[in-house]
Amino acid sequence: MPGFDFSNHNRNLALHAKGVPLPKATSTGTTIVGCLYDGGVVIAADTRATSGPIVADKNCEKLHYISPQIWCAGAGTAADTEFTTALISSNLELHALSTGRKPRVVTVMTMLKQHLFRYQGHIGAYLVVAGCDPTGAHLFTVHAHGSTDKLPYVTMGSGSLAAMSVFETQWKRDMTREAAVALCADAIQAGIFNDLGSGSNVDVCVITPEKTQLMRNFITPNVREKKKRDYKFQRGTTAWLDERVVKREEIRKYVSVEEVPVEGSGAPVVGERMEVDQ
Amino acid sequence: MFIARSEYDRGINTFSPEGRLFQVEYSLEAIKLGSTAIGITTSSGTVLGVEKRITSSLLETSSVEKVVEIDRHIGCAMSGLQADARSMIEHARVTSQSHVFHYAEPIGVESCTQAICDLALRFGESASGEEEESIMSRPFGVALLIAGYDEEGPSLYHAEPSGTFYRYDAKAIGSGSEGAQAELQSSYHKSLTLQEAEELVLKTLKQVMEEKLDANNVQLASVTKDKGFRVYGDEEMKACVGRIEGDS
Amino acid sequence: MAAFTSYVSSAGQPSYSFPQQQSAPSHASRAPIQHSFYPYTDNGGSTLGISGDNFTIIAGDTRSTSGYNINTRYEPKLFRIGGEGSEHKGSKIVLSVVGFAADGHALKERLDTVVKMYRYQHGKEMSVNACAQRLSHILYNKRFFPYYVQAILGGVDEEGRGALYSYDPVGSYEREFCRAAGAGASLIMPFLDNQVNLKNQYEPAAPQGLEKPQLVPQPLQRAATEELVRDAFTSAVERHIEVGDGLQMMIITKDGIEEVFSPLKMD
Repeated sequence: MPGFDFSNHNRNLALHAKGVPLPKATSTGTTIVGCLYDGGVVIAADTRATSGPIVADKNCEKLHYISPQIWCAGAGTAADTEFTTALISSNLELHALSTGRKPRVVTVMTMLKQHLFRYQGHIGAYLVVAGCDPTGAHLFTVHAHGSTDKLPYVTMGSGSLAAMSVFETQWKRDMTREAAVALCADAIQAGIFNDLGSGSNVDVCVITPEKTQLMRNFITPNVREKKKRDYKFQRGTTAWLDERVVKREEIRKYVSVEEVPVEGSGAPVVGERMEVDQ
Repeated sequence: MFIARSEYDRGINTFSPEGRLFQVEYSLEAIKLGSTAIGITTSSGTVLGVEKRITSSLLETSSVEKVVEIDRHIGCAMSGLQADARSMIEHARVTSQSHVFHYAEPIGVESCTQAICDLALRFGESASGEEEESIMSRPFGVALLIAGYDEEGPSLYHAEPSGTFYRYDAKAIGSGSEGAQAELQSSYHKSLTLQEAEELVLKTLKQVMEEKLDANNVQLASVTKDKGFRVYGDEEMKACVGRIEGDS
Repeated sequence: MAAFTSYVSSAGQPSYSFPQQQSAPSHASRAPIQHSFYPYTDNGGSTLGISGDNFTIIAGDTRSTSGYNINTRYEPKLFRIGGEGSEHKGSKIVLSVVGFAADGHALKERLDTVVKMYRYQHGKEMSVNACAQRLSHILYNKRFFPYYVQAILGGVDEEGRGALYSYDPVGSYEREFCRAAGAGASLIMPFLDNQVNLKNQYEPAAPQGLEKPQLVPQPLQRAATEELVRDAFTSAVERHIEVGDGLQMMIITKDGIEEVFSPLKMD
């Protein structure tokens, strides 16, 4: 069944009336920006995800794929930006298939605003939509309630004021690609350093009619210093009361392993490595 | 003595043209009528001794309390109007307890003495608009010898109704103070032991007392590091008095 | 059956078996309007203290925040108490306060005045444990309009050992070996429990079981403790948005207070 499931609505209303609070969704205090330049469009984002005052992810991705030449920067509720962009991306693919044309940025913007408006702001997605299509390079913002803007430079998220201050002082008409990328990166850094909801690294995506270049961790101005001390515990430091050795052969009983053949090549599928501190 | 005595001894906060406060001076006279009290400091502690003045053979001698505890490490002997001493001691006790309450440490002996002297000055008519009404209509008629032991070691202070205080190695107050102080002056030396100090106190009291000194009409007390303030019991008094009887 | 069907009333509105909040008061115009004034703000930041054999270290970050904003990157949360003049010359007591910065300042001024008055009145320096007791009273005196702070007091006691006292906003206090307070406290305290008091660490060589002996906390060395403090803060900075910018450390020994400042990440 497509769409949302509302079957718990009345129950939740009852719980709420009783004083049980709603679970808190992770709202990404964020800085996202976009800027048109002479020959394309740039969007950029920071990489901090927070839940309350706690940093949930130090290096998350806020630049979402819509189509090869259209990308979206998302602020607001993490799940909402991820699912909304994935949904629109999927529908856009179908749309492109049925029309046989390259998708347009306005189409994405329109689909997003209609989707978000239908949910009256309950889907907390605040997006910067950017891309190149046969009609040129375009840049939009879409708010959770469904309103949109079309501007040469935009910012969104909790760091939007810090970022906008950079644009308002340094933006110029007809910038080069390098200048636009640098300006966007500066705007994001303004958010990273002046807005507590934003932090860590700068992700940039440059879209031209010819190609799209995603520059993940374009700038990393917040590398953690080496720890002063070594916190390796000597073997045997942790106490336990019971010990049971399960042999590899025994584990076979509990686990079913299925070999999945990979299309095209014989190489096994390797997932993206999780990032961990050294 | 008081040549220019006139109307100036009525108002307690009024200076005479010679710059004297007669009521304060009179209060010092009241002390000269009081029983003799002596204090001597040694390196290991301070000894206090008072004359009890048993005015009647029917008087219960133990009810004459002229040496009292202020805190575990501070005690005092008095001479003059005993009733006045009650409120001073009460104030000193409250101040000491308040210090422990606020700072989790015993109050210094000098600080305690200062607190008593602060109270001693709160007599007379207060200016209108002053926060609190003056609590006393006249100066205290009592002097105190305050003995204590703190981180500075043993000490002895003399507090007067005028609100001044001095630290002494040995001090006598009360009716026999002049003779007693002269005796202390000649007999005191820095290397006195506590026991020698007890004996010096008793000997000095014996000299200046009108009655014959015995274990009932004098009272000794001491402050030491280990035992704090302690008023000597009957047995101990008898032993101490016995020691000086044997000597003489 | 009626009991079940009554779940939805005739009007189509769901009804409940327990009392519900009135969504709209029937006499809206006559209903009293409650005004409120909340005089506190949380300025974020974090502090910690560790006491050793002959020293105490008190540390705090220097960021001051309100909401998602940074008020300033350098507002010290550590204060020298007592000593001479506004420079606090010769002071050997440090107070750290985290929570509402304005209350922190007011508290530090109060305590400093009390400690300086004490020297005039009693002719000696106030000991840390006397100061600790006094601070507790200052806090409790405002029991019903508290100073919105978590305070940590550090110094060297009369035996020359490091002394550390931690407080709740209304004056409950305790002498401890280590304590973290403020925004990052829940991140730093478990680390301190493990590394200073060696909690959850057992004798590696001993056999497993209920008898396995716990590691016994050893007196900390000053250099190692400073490293521990730095690691605690760089870690808190990684995961707490209100902690960062600068690390201020004060090391109290019998010779006085040494102050060390080092930068922290600014994002």
